[in-house]
Amino acid sequence: MVIAEIKPFEEIKNLLKKYKKILVAGCGSCVTVCLSGGKKQVELLASALRTARKIEGDDVVVGEKVIPRQCEPKFVDQIKDEASQYDAILSMGCGAGVQEIAERIENIPVFPALNTTFIGMADEQGQYLEVCAACGDCILSMTGGICPVTRCAKSLINGPCGGSRGGLCEVSKDNPCVWQLIYDRLVKLNMLYLLKGISQPKTRSVHPRRMVR
Amino acid sequence: MNISAMPPCQGACPINTDVRGYVSAIARGDVETAIGIIHQVNPFPSVCGRICIRACESVCRRAQIDEPISIAALKRFAADQTKDLKSFHKRGPFYNEKVAVIGGGPSGLTAAHDLTLLGYNVTVFEAHKELGGMLIRGIPEYRLPKSAVKADIDFILSMGIEVKTGMVLGRDFSIDELLKDYQAVFLALGSERSIFPKCKGIEKPGIITAVEFLKQVSEGHRPYLGESIVVVGGGHTAVDAARTCIRLGAHDVTVIYRRTVKEMPAGKGEVEEAEHEGVKFKFLTAPVEFIGNGKVEKVRCVKMQLSHASGSKRQSFLPVKDSEFDINTDAVILAIGYNPKTDSIEEVEIISGKKGTIVVKDELGTTNIKGVFAGGDVVSGPQSVIHAIASGKKAADAIHRYLRNLPPKEIEEPVVLRPLDERIVSLIIKAVRQKMPMLPTEERIKSFNEVQLGFTWDQAVSEAQRCLNCGAGAVISEDCAACFNCVLVCPYGVPTAGEEKAQIDISQCQACGICASECPASAIDVKLETREVGRKKLKKAVDDAKKEELKDFTINFYCQYEQPTGPSEKKKGTYTVGKPCMARVSVYQLIQPFEEGSKAVEIHKCGHKKDCRFKGCEKWIIKHIERAQKMLKDIGIDADHVKLIFEDDK
Repeated sequence: MVIAEIKPFEEIKNLLKKYKKILVAGCGSCVTVCLSGGKKQVELLASALRTARKIEGDDVVVGEKVIPRQCEPKFVDQIKDEASQYDAILSMGCGAGVQEIAERIENIPVFPALNTTFIGMADEQGQYLEVCAACGDCILSMTGGICPVTRCAKSLINGPCGGSRGGLCEVSKDNPCVWQLIYDRLVKLNMLYLLKGISQPKTRSVHPRRMVR
Repeated sequence: MNISAMPPCQGACPINTDVRGYVSAIARGDVETAIGIIHQVNPFPSVCGRICIRACESVCRRAQIDEPISIAALKRFAADQTKDLKSFHKRGPFYNEKVAVIGGGPSGLTAAHDLTLLGYNVTVFEAHKELGGMLIRGIPEYRLPKSAVKADIDFILSMGIEVKTGMVLGRDFSIDELLKDYQAVFLALGSERSIFPKCKGIEKPGIITAVEFLKQVSEGHRPYLGESIVVVGGGHTAVDAARTCIRLGAHDVTVIYRRTVKEMPAGKGEVEEAEHEGVKFKFLTAPVEFIGNGKVEKVRCVKMQLSHASGSKRQSFLPVKDSEFDINTDAVILAIGYNPKTDSIEEVEIISGKKGTIVVKDELGTTNIKGVFAGGDVVSGPQSVIHAIASGKKAADAIHRYLRNLPPKEIEEPVVLRPLDERIVSLIIKAVRQKMPMLPTEERIKSFNEVQLGFTWDQAVSEAQRCLNCGAGAVISEDCAACFNCVLVCPYGVPTAGEEKAQIDISQCQACGICASECPASAIDVKLETREVGRKKLKKAVDDAKKEELKDFTINFYCQYEQPTGPSEKKKGTYTVGKPCMARVSVYQLIQPFEEGSKAVEIHKCGHKKDCRFKGCEKWIIKHIERAQKMLKDIGIDADHVKLIFEDDK
């Protein structure tokens, strides 16, 4: 899932300061789940914007809309008419959502309210951890389903560095050494032989990548 | 998981009263809404609040934690507190058809009430001088004052119902004659003819039926039967007759009953009250002969014992051999049951059952004569008042369908919520059931004043707040994004991850509302106070403030469980909004008033310093306030403009 965080309010306010009619657009998918851009966040941010501008004596009209997926053109097209009444759109979707809006709604500027941070997974406490770098050359079959590209501070793909201490990473004591995790899991699976294989250096993908459905 | 499942109280009530609805209204101190909810289905709240058999209380899930909610007493409270309010129903559209109701007891009057509401012209024919049936003739005033019955009857008649009293079916009019003027007839004749035990000496002077005895007392007579009296029977009427004798000055009153206290229809509570007043009970005792020289002087009894004969489901009791003994007495009151008295309609060939009951063809009360319906005790034999009311309601509906040529109503068995899981039970804080204030025993036995005095306001509100609001909890809409935040935040661990979306078992949800305030998709709503209702309340407070054209104002959220009727001290410029638990005040509700010009938002005197009703709510109240404070700071308003105020902060 794509994880994103709301930008500092001051930054958002500055992005929008010359606009009088703003549509805050939420997304019902990943960013709802990670509590950044769903219906509740949309109404909070919209209310905060109205209040802040009122205090500055610069009243603003702020509309609110949530679509199921901002990265889907068919959903974005559904709000075209409504959006045309505004002079700016504040997207609370991830980077893909912002760009889909920019692509489909040509004559109204769109601004991001979120910083899209990573592809992550949830733990039981409701925290998200970056686990996939979308490198385009997956080696999880060799590492017990744990990605060293993302979870090793140095993205080492053939075993740990010398900074692995007591199962922790030298870069941050909050992070376990991913190679320790991989080793422990392969022991459990009785698949330690996998570590004898060597992963070849990755070819850096040429952006933008495409996929045909 | 059935989200339309009824709370058990509502499911058990023969007329499916929205108990949760009116109890929660009383919990907010709103008796007018409470009585409105009761009146939607029951025109006899004063009566039922006093003498209902309370099937609701016997299934109340609060009993899994401590004791059931005192539901009937709360109904009485709502009725007593609103007796001066003229909150009468409006009459519906008019139809031309006229309906005759024969019998002015609870069944007949309920049918008349409902038919009038449906838009018919209704005439009630009552054989006696007064309406009310057994409510006024059979139940003594210390248990059901006439004023309480009158309050309900006045309410019913105020809708515009014609009443003809002193009109006896078979003497003053016949069904055939009625059918010339009326398009439908409802027979609700009641069941007031006493049954006599098959004993020698039954004809002796000094033996009176309880029905006759209680009728005389209800008419204001004070018959003195003697010093010592034996009452035969184990129902409400037997106990009522015995307690009435004590009030009339008898010192030695004994109730004899052939089974044990467990089988007594009157119930343990009533027996205990009677014992406090001096009534003696002899269980497993049956009369065999009434003896006396002229007048009755002795009751010859026999001891009974449980028979272990196989084949019979109901436990039967048989006499013990050679166990006869005598009880000296001045009089005997017979209260072993009644049958309907239907001789008056024999000539019209209405099919009668063995014991004088009218035989009906179906649940609706259709008889063998077109347009004639029957219900209440005359069909079922003596039953409780709520069953009579239920039968009146069924009859009204059946008559309406008959007259309008509508298909019969589909009767669905209500789906009722499951019991609480033991795990949930262990998380709910105990709260004792309020004790009904009673007239002291020494005063009771001297008069016919009502024994149960009714709850005070504080008692009623406290008692109503014990209600668990079964089934008024969280429901999840299609908008669920399956983030499972609800699973993480629920203090009771009720939500679970379903195959596609989150699921909340409505039978276990405690309606704290924390999941709803934390759901990022706003996909969860709580029936106890929906989002829409919550918003309307806040909007009203803000609109009130704006109307005053104040430069600045404060919005104050208060806990309805802590202060049911709102803060006692009204500060100028402060507008209050009650919520069922302060954890239900979302971050949005804390910051939105600033948009409208509010200078401050307070959460007032939240109970979480003491024992709060909801487990762990304080964590969420503080979280919401902290988040709102951070947002305020970002907006450019001092963070302390949103704050939690305790009573001791003053």
